[in-house]
Amino acid sequence: MAEHHTAPDYKHKASSNAAGALSGNGRAGSSGGSGGLSGGLTQPAGWQSLLSFTILFLAWLAGFSSRLFAVIRFESIIHEFDPWFNYRSTHHLTTNGFYEFLNWFDERAWYPLGRIVGGTVYPGLMLTAGLIHYVLNLLNVTVHIRDVCVFLAPVFSGLTSISTFLLTRELWNQGAGLLAACFIAIVPGYISRSVAGSFDNEGIAIFALQFTYYLWVKSVKTGSVFWAIACCLSYFYMVSAWGGYVFIINLIPLHVFVLLLMQRFSRRLYIAYSTFYIVGLVLSMQIPFVGFQPIRTSEHMAAAGVFALLQAYAFLQYLKDRLTRQEFQTLFFLGVSLAAGVVFFTVIYLTYTGEPYHHLYAKIHIPIIASVSEHQPTTWVSFFFDLHILVCTFPAGLWFCIKNINDERVFVALYAISAVYFAGVMVRLMLTLTPVVCMLSAIAFSNVFEHYLGDDMKREKPPAEDSSDEDDKRNSGNLYDKAGKVRKHVSDIVTMLMLMLLMMFAVHCTWVTSNAYSSPSVVLASYNHDGSRNILDDFREAYYWLRQNTDEHARVMSWWDYGYQIAGMANRTTLVDNNTWNNSHIALVGKAMSSNESAAYEIMKSLDVDYVLIIFGGVIGYSGDDINKFLWMVRIAEGEHPKDIRESDYFTPQGEFRVDKAGSPTLLNCLMYKMSYYRFGEMQLDFRTPPGFDRTRNAEIGNKDIRLKHLEEAFTSEHWLVRIYRVKKEDNRQGLDHKPRNLSQKQKYISKKLMGGKCAPRGAWLAWRRGAL
Amino acid sequence: MLRLSVPAYVALLGGFLACAAAAGGGLVNEEVKRTVDLTTHLAKITAEILLANEGDAAAHSFTVGLEAELAPHLAYIGAAPFPTHITQAERQLVVFQGNHYLYSPYLTRIQSSRVRLASKNVETYTKLGNPSKNDEMIEYGPFRDVAPFTQDVMKIHYENNTPFLTISSITRTIEVSHWGNIAVEETIDLRHTGADLKGPFSRYDYQRQSDSGISSIKSFKTILPASAQDVYYRDEIGNISTSHLQVLEDSVEVEVRPRFPLFGGWKTHYLIGYNLPSYEYLYALGDQYALKMRLLDHVYDDQVIDLLTVKIVLPEGTFTWTRLIVATKRNLVEQHIQDMVVHYTFNKILMLQEPLLVVGAFYILFFTVIIYDPAAEVRMKVASITEQVLTLVNKRLGLYRHMDEVVNRYKQSRDSGALNSGRKALETSHRALTNDINSLQVRLKAEGSDLAEKVAELQKLDGQVKDLACRSCQEAERLVVGKVKKEAYIENEKGLTGRRLELVSRIDGLLDAL
Repeated sequence: MAEHHTAPDYKHKASSNAAGALSGNGRAGSSGGSGGLSGGLTQPAGWQSLLSFTILFLAWLAGFSSRLFAVIRFESIIHEFDPWFNYRSTHHLTTNGFYEFLNWFDERAWYPLGRIVGGTVYPGLMLTAGLIHYVLNLLNVTVHIRDVCVFLAPVFSGLTSISTFLLTRELWNQGAGLLAACFIAIVPGYISRSVAGSFDNEGIAIFALQFTYYLWVKSVKTGSVFWAIACCLSYFYMVSAWGGYVFIINLIPLHVFVLLLMQRFSRRLYIAYSTFYIVGLVLSMQIPFVGFQPIRTSEHMAAAGVFALLQAYAFLQYLKDRLTRQEFQTLFFLGVSLAAGVVFFTVIYLTYTGEPYHHLYAKIHIPIIASVSEHQPTTWVSFFFDLHILVCTFPAGLWFCIKNINDERVFVALYAISAVYFAGVMVRLMLTLTPVVCMLSAIAFSNVFEHYLGDDMKREKPPAEDSSDEDDKRNSGNLYDKAGKVRKHVSDIVTMLMLMLLMMFAVHCTWVTSNAYSSPSVVLASYNHDGSRNILDDFREAYYWLRQNTDEHARVMSWWDYGYQIAGMANRTTLVDNNTWNNSHIALVGKAMSSNESAAYEIMKSLDVDYVLIIFGGVIGYSGDDINKFLWMVRIAEGEHPKDIRESDYFTPQGEFRVDKAGSPTLLNCLMYKMSYYRFGEMQLDFRTPPGFDRTRNAEIGNKDIRLKHLEEAFTSEHWLVRIYRVKKEDNRQGLDHKPRNLSQKQKYISKKLMGGKCAPRGAWLAWRRGAL
Repeated sequence: MLRLSVPAYVALLGGFLACAAAAGGGLVNEEVKRTVDLTTHLAKITAEILLANEGDAAAHSFTVGLEAELAPHLAYIGAAPFPTHITQAERQLVVFQGNHYLYSPYLTRIQSSRVRLASKNVETYTKLGNPSKNDEMIEYGPFRDVAPFTQDVMKIHYENNTPFLTISSITRTIEVSHWGNIAVEETIDLRHTGADLKGPFSRYDYQRQSDSGISSIKSFKTILPASAQDVYYRDEIGNISTSHLQVLEDSVEVEVRPRFPLFGGWKTHYLIGYNLPSYEYLYALGDQYALKMRLLDHVYDDQVIDLLTVKIVLPEGTFTWTRLIVATKRNLVEQHIQDMVVHYTFNKILMLQEPLLVVGAFYILFFTVIIYDPAAEVRMKVASITEQVLTLVNKRLGLYRHMDEVVNRYKQSRDSGALNSGRKALETSHRALTNDINSLQVRLKAEGSDLAEKVAELQKLDGQVKDLACRSCQEAERLVVGKVKKEAYIENEKGLTGRRLELVSRIDGLLDAL
């Protein structure tokens, strides 16, 4: 990477050498170095584009390959949770067509409510995959849609590097651009969301984000409507792909606003932003899921405010030319103080209340959001883990940018500052920070290399010159010997250090990718002492059992984490899933899991549950199982049903959460506990531990004699990781005498929202959660 | 009950040959030995018949009888589980219903039947003619002089834990490529057709007790052709990681383990696919091709198939009414693993179609790139010309330095001849360089670049530099000749150098802007 980046500066160097020559003592153009080559390559322009092309291609290749760990270790498989939903939707799209997809009402989710999928997803991802699949099939390249989905994110990572290159080139120079492209191709912060199989919105959205920013910078630079429209189209793609588009629609107005404050208003800016705002607004409203949000919700208001401000500012500028100084001053004070005051306060107000991420602070106490691990605040460790050396160098890049400020560098500075802030709020938003860190670090590295390697070249170049210069070279060599040597050593050391840092960065990236981000989490692997591998395929075993051996319309109750996987792999109806739009429904499932069996049976009967699926890691020591998540279920249930469920009941008097004999009786008799440990008490895993020893929690379970009355074990996977219980139908009742009876209305457990008739699919407070960001 | 496929037929034929001398119309079964093999879920009945012709005319054929109720199950009939639902701990019992006698249009003189069972445990069996039972064998008969078409129900209720596995449907797709590969993919729907599992499935019992779920199916072996490569075994949700592949000398053995053990009534679905080299199966004579492959291949021992669909995809450009040949057949067993031959005509030239398409596509792509974007072309040209200008100007600046050297040398050696020749040589190359730059400037102008003006200014500045250089040369001459004093010369030279420096830096500035 390091050597490459100097090449783009070739021309620059050539001319600066000439400038350094004194009184006709100019050296022959350093381009003489390439004089021996023939054809187009004699021209540095040719070299430059060839090198850039090669480097970008290699960056793409490296980025693509380093995302394939999971495919090579396991198989071409969709990972984790959300990607399964995306895959299922894409599959639906390719089999039923675009309009069917837009109108898709999924009756297999959120039983009995269902979900309007077409109107509650960002369709960009599915459409992209579907389109690629369609084109490939049109060309008679028969690829399964699954493979398209699996490899989409790695392919798009290449596009991300190219757009990062373009953006950085606009901000700084080509060398920095190439470095940035290489950084973003392998940086773990981005790989974490774009490995092969991670078929998620973020995989394509980061490309759209970077490309939109590039086009924005371009349109601000040129002031051309063409670039502004291109920017809008890219923004449209971003809106269709990811809820993170609000980041763009807030950052660009912020950029404009700050430029105005810095007295950097220009006609170019006016054209760019006016076009972008209007066309972008109209385009973004075409996405069914977004709809009228851009003109209604607070997070879009900053953009509108800045638009108005910009118009007012431009109008004032216009008046300035036509009014006398006196008139203008009066008008100015009146108008500006009024308009600016209004706009400023609106913007301030909106920035503080309307920023999407501020929801997080307001809502962080809501259990269902807090329960998602990626919504936790970021630790310093994860900054280093995801960005390694870049996290240290990017402030330097920011400093360089601020030192040589211009319109677009204002933008990148704002981008950096806001992204750092958001990344600090939650782990998940590391993703938006990563690209800007790559760009700024690239600028920092590029500057250092330019300084030291550039000097180097000046000294090293002469030997390549024509023989006619030999004497002169000797002279100048003698003249500068002493001073040169010291400088040369310093620059050698600096260069070496930098290269070492970059090397370590590359090693770290590969290591992190391989160890932390390449597990499909659907398939687990364990290693024996001799290094051979065991694959634990329990999830698919159980899901496939459900798919093959239960009624097609069977309803499966599980914790919401597994909703998408059950829908995708088992193809069965679920009650709740990772969409989490309806808290009360989730709370109801949580309540069923945390109640005793007969109370749970009532809930399950009212929800027509046929099977209950739980994850139990006690046999193999899998820590992400339902007992470990259980307290969240209790908390969420308590939020909606405080009279029936109390978190404190599940703790020992000492305030501990224990599954052994000392555990609270409520816990030891709740449905989740019973289902997890049913017949586990008889099981002796090895000779050192007593029967019923839970390996995950390292405790002997407290309730070994578990009997189920309303449920029966329907299936348990090989390593007990997934356990499925069948809800027994009620026994036939005694024959009734034929007297007329009065039936009393039975209390049904349905969600509050339903009863209130206010079931809003894009409901207020959870809207953003639904894979939104 | 009756498996009238190859083995049964062979047995009959053998019997016929044994009494080839017999002639006439009145055929009689002299002696019949039946074996009813009930060890698997497939009842295999073989009958060894000694046939006699008691009539006068020669018999050229004889008739094999088949019970009317068996006709729909011509290929096979299995034993039915009874009870139909069992728990995990229970053993599977099945009932076999058949005929005690050989169903034949002829009189049978003497007949005996031997029934082989899967286990010793027999609940009940019909006691016609006081059969003898020892261990896993029941022997009926001998019966004498059985009238034609005699039927008498034989019913045996016994334990049979062998896997009752049925392929409810199999789709075998064979895709032929003339590039040397035949891809075979089988989509299989499997079902355990034994007694349905009643009540819960307990993994604990299944793991801890060896006889728990004894009739369930854990795995089975599929034998693929020896040349099979790239075998995959998967389903809708991905690779099934529980399989093992063993390459033997004459076959490839796949241990197919479904994702979960199959209990009674449970089903599963999977794909198994592999590639075969086409030279083993594809024969060609000119444009005539013949594909000779198995219609059906081995899935597991004693396989029972309800419905087979074979799809053969021939290469694009084949002269038939269709590229896709589909055949279906119901009720198949292992004996149906037989070869089929598909003849078709294919023009070899058409093999080039695909590579040519790819080449063509890339050609068009590159060609458009070359033709399109004229702006980039101009930009590149201008850039290259600018580079050349840069090089030339730098070279020309280098000439002045040489000039200085020549002058310095002259000042020491006072050799005016050397000075003149050096000056001449330099002037020639200077003129050449200037001309080159001029022509480049013209080209720049032709490309419509505004850089041409800058180059023009460059030339103008250079002219001034040259004048200065010439003047300092003359001054040096004058110094050597003694027309000027050294101090004056030095002062003069200083001024000249200063102006030159200034000019050169202006030139550099221009070059930077280029």
